Amino acid sequence: MIQLENVHKFYGTGESRNEVLKGISLQVGDGDFVVLLGASGSGKSTLLNVMSGLERADEGTICYGKTQLEQMTDKELTEFRKNNIGFIFQQYYLLPNLNVDKNVKMGAELAGNKEYRQTISAVGLEKKVHKYPHELSGGEQQRVSVARALAKKPKFLYLDEPTGALDEKTGRLVLDYISKLQQESGFTVIMVTHNQNVAEMANTVIRMNSGRIVETWQNAEPKNAYEIAW
Amino acid sequence: MIVSYKDTLKIASITIISFCAVFVCTLFLNFNLDLADVGNEITSPATQSLYDAQVMTGKVVSSLAGGCLLLTTVVLLCFYVGHFIDIHQKELGILKALGYSRFRIAREFWTFGCSVLTGTASAYLCAHLLMPTFYEVQNELGLLPAFEVHFHPGLCFLLVFLPALFFALLAVCYSYLKMKVSPLTLLRGKESTKIVKARKESDMPFLQELGKSNVRQRKSLVFFITFAIFCFSSMMQMSFSMDELASEMMAFMIMGIGIVLACVTLFLASTSVVKANGKTITMMKVFGYQSRDCVKAVLGGYRPWACFGFVLGSLYQYLLLRIAVSIIFADIENVPEYHFDIPAMLIALFSFIALYETVMFCYTKKIEKMSVKEIMLE
Repeated sequence: MIQLENVHKFYGTGESRNEVLKGISLQVGDGDFVVLLGASGSGKSTLLNVMSGLERADEGTICYGKTQLEQMTDKELTEFRKNNIGFIFQQYYLLPNLNVDKNVKMGAELAGNKEYRQTISAVGLEKKVHKYPHELSGGEQQRVSVARALAKKPKFLYLDEPTGALDEKTGRLVLDYISKLQQESGFTVIMVTHNQNVAEMANTVIRMNSGRIVETWQNAEPKNAYEIAW
Repeated sequence: MIVSYKDTLKIASITIISFCAVFVCTLFLNFNLDLADVGNEITSPATQSLYDAQVMTGKVVSSLAGGCLLLTTVVLLCFYVGHFIDIHQKELGILKALGYSRFRIAREFWTFGCSVLTGTASAYLCAHLLMPTFYEVQNELGLLPAFEVHFHPGLCFLLVFLPALFFALLAVCYSYLKMKVSPLTLLRGKESTKIVKARKESDMPFLQELGKSNVRQRKSLVFFITFAIFCFSSMMQMSFSMDELASEMMAFMIMGIGIVLACVTLFLASTSVVKANGKTITMMKVFGYQSRDCVKAVLGGYRPWACFGFVLGSLYQYLLLRIAVSIIFADIENVPEYHFDIPAMLIALFSFIALYETVMFCYTKKIEKMSVKEIMLE
């Protein structure tokens, strides 16, 4: 379980100091599918970065079970991400000079996963393992990014606008892969999006505005990627 | 102004290298010109031999140091101009789209010549300050007729202003050629490095594969790193032999130039590699790779080339001194016999290992401090 207690995050100093997260408290259960919803500038990406240990909170506590992130050194935090967390970003961030196989291997080697080619097959890219990122479409690149994140067998998967740069068809395809793989493996998903329709896929939806949680609700029957509107 | 004076400050390595080149050339060429004035006063054969040796040494050192450093500066400047265009693609694209001609934009790159002028002018001044001492050392035994330091305007123009003009022109021409793309291409800010694919698929570990891929991707940096260690190895070993073959002062100068050149080039090359791999490093850190793994993946592939540079430098200095002693100075008396200096090689080897590992350590620390968010927002 992830537990956040009164988390604050500031950017800038002096007069330009800006409070981006204003006392966030929340709980995410193991195996949950959570969507962080909000307009641009609401603080949802910052919350994702702070929760995942990419950035440090300025105040408050973030606990993964009994592990407290703010007490960790940078080295320990890196080790924590290595053992627990997977990331998928809107911009894919694939390594341009390595092919699909090697990009996925980047995540797999951290977990000692020698069967990582199965993950490539699971996202339907088994015929493109030797292709380089610039030879793939946006949707295919995002699927590589999904495979790379899942090949390290994360306990928590963080997604920052994963369909933001994709068209409807490939967007649905990518979300479908993620939700199916989550149901199979049982990892926790925390996804940032500004698309309210995508939120219908989640068990829990958290709406943010101006650095605060303004609304939280549960979907009794989450929809799949092809049932939601786009 | 497209290229600001602040940008020229960033290319301190070019200033340092031009300083070294002009400093050495000024000392020896000025000495040779002043020595030539008293050449007809020499009567004894022994003095004539010493005179010939001094003139020859001046010519060899000036052409070797000057030529080598000139070439390095050319390569470095082209590299910098290319790098500047790569990181300012969008701004340059906007200017082109607004209607600025390619020549109008390229013209602004003349300011890169200022870095060279700073180096050459300060080197010329420093060399003149040191010249009286240098003349004394060169004529320590007082065998040559007395002669004084003179100012040679032609030499000043040749060593101070001509290189600055040449490099300003080179920067303009090279940038003009580099910007021969459509405004749209520049605006899109596409990756300037072409992807070089692996020749065959391998099952080597990820870090090793990434290291190899980085080397394939940036071959110019292979040259810089090999060259840096080549200079370090050859000049350091040469300086130990120079102590015996020439003078302590010359040995000190050669060692100083070797160390400065190696450090500047090595830091420049390593910084370029790390900067060019900013996003790769970020993703590795995000995924949980430690900083030392990032350094290994990004810079590790260049280590064999650095070792190769060391071996090449050792061979080069041996052959050069061998040729100098047995061919160039063959007619000059009392030139000691030259053999490969193993202790000097070992000292150079340990210094190389210390230098290389220090640089790697510095970059591990630098990577540790790199902000994941800053790079992802770029």
